[in-house]
Amino acid sequence: MPKHIVSGLKYLTAVELIRDGYSQKEVAKILEMDRSTVSHYLNGRNLSWNSIEIAKIITEFCPKDFLILTYALMQEKARIVVKTCSNSKYKGIIKESCIGCGLCADICLMKAIVLNDLKAQIDSNWCCGCLICGESCPTNSIEILEVK
Amino acid sequence: MMISNTKEVQALDFEISRSAEEKRELLYKDDICIGCGICEKTCPVDAIELGSIGAIVRTGADVPKIVCDEDKCVLCGMCSVVCPVDALEFKIDDESIKDMDEYPQLINSAEINDDTCIYCKACETACPRDSITIARNLPDRSKLVTGEIDIDKETCIDCGICEEMCPADAITIEHKLPTPDDPTVSSDIIVDKDKCVYCLICKKSCPVSAIKAACRSCSYGEYDLNPEDTVTTGSSFIDHETCVKCGWCQEICPVDAATVVKTFKGELHIDQDTCQACGACVDICPCNVLSFPQSTVPGKSPEKVMSDENYCIYCGACDNVCPVKAIEVKRTDINHTPTKSKSWEKQIDSLKT
Repeated sequence: MPKHIVSGLKYLTAVELIRDGYSQKEVAKILEMDRSTVSHYLNGRNLSWNSIEIAKIITEFCPKDFLILTYALMQEKARIVVKTCSNSKYKGIIKESCIGCGLCADICLMKAIVLNDLKAQIDSNWCCGCLICGESCPTNSIEILEVK
Repeated sequence: MMISNTKEVQALDFEISRSAEEKRELLYKDDICIGCGICEKTCPVDAIELGSIGAIVRTGADVPKIVCDEDKCVLCGMCSVVCPVDALEFKIDDESIKDMDEYPQLINSAEINDDTCIYCKACETACPRDSITIARNLPDRSKLVTGEIDIDKETCIDCGICEEMCPADAITIEHKLPTPDDPTVSSDIIVDKDKCVYCLICKKSCPVSAIKAACRSCSYGEYDLNPEDTVTTGSSFIDHETCVKCGWCQEICPVDAATVVKTFKGELHIDQDTCQACGACVDICPCNVLSFPQSTVPGKSPEKVMSDENYCIYCGACDNVCPVKAIEVKRTDINHTPTKSKSWEKQIDSLKT
């Protein structure tokens, strides 16, 4: 079953990426799949519609659940799926109380956070709005705003 | 996906680390810790707790001076930056944050200029932390005084008086038992001319006037003395891990070869009326700032503690340890390199009192 859900998530991601203008070759590279599998997916082959339905439901979870479930299914590859299939954009604001401990950077599954001059910096391109960083922050210095 | 710290304890030392995007490590060395509690005051997450320093120092108890809760510690490195000694080291991916520009550093230093130093070892003796080692090469004694000495072995009766009298241990008589074929009590008498200082005591004390000796310096002055031969050379070493930059070496140096720059400016106040002369502060002070005056009356204990702020680094250890709050340490200025982080600036600044 998990395998089927992963296929569904990859399908949704591939569709989005193609819509964003990526070629099938590029999509295959991004998702680390065979080019032929991408092609099959896009033509609706080798894939049950049921898997796609479930995958769709998962993408509509709240960002934290979407990320955690996807990460449990796909580990590192979850980043690109969540980034691509997420409908919202987020902006992270780091308050001056940040002590640069790097806990948020370590904990961020999207690898959206880096430290710069002892202060965290959140890359809006990757932030999925899961708020996991804020939960871990010892000084409550992180604020995540939905911008779209 | 839970990220947690690991802690390793070895005797009184500990090591807390976290490995994820980068490897962060905090290493604590108890023998270097002065128990000042600055780390406890600075820690932004209250992970550090200062132990019962007074009891630990006075009883030599086998307990670490600080305890760090690895579940609270977020490995930010602040404690390491503010530690006045190198008791807390912080590394990111095996590189010390002391070598990273983005981290502020306390500014302090202690240096001995080997060009000026005369290797008298006053600093080595005065250093309260035993951080200074002076290695010196003394001048060759035989080059500082020259002369001539000769023992007439025909006249010498092997009495050994010269051997016993010689202050430089330069004369050796090879004593032996007499035998029928050699009815003497010694086989030879030898003068080590590298040791002889031509003081002429042997000559003056010889009961049979067998010794001829003359000191060239006494006769002709020091004209043949090469000034280079009189110089003591050497090198100085300061262990910066243990050095507290207290300034004893600078104050005691007779030739101003030692220079100490301190991190904190401040004030040390002792309320003599409150002080019970328990001596806890004297025992904890890493800088030998505090002492009891010599009691003039036998059997009477000192009534008050004396201090010399010249040597104080305003670490506050005495303030923490005083059981009757008779000591107040104020820090009015902190000398540190800049940081762009507002929170770090604020936290370092909070050490001012």
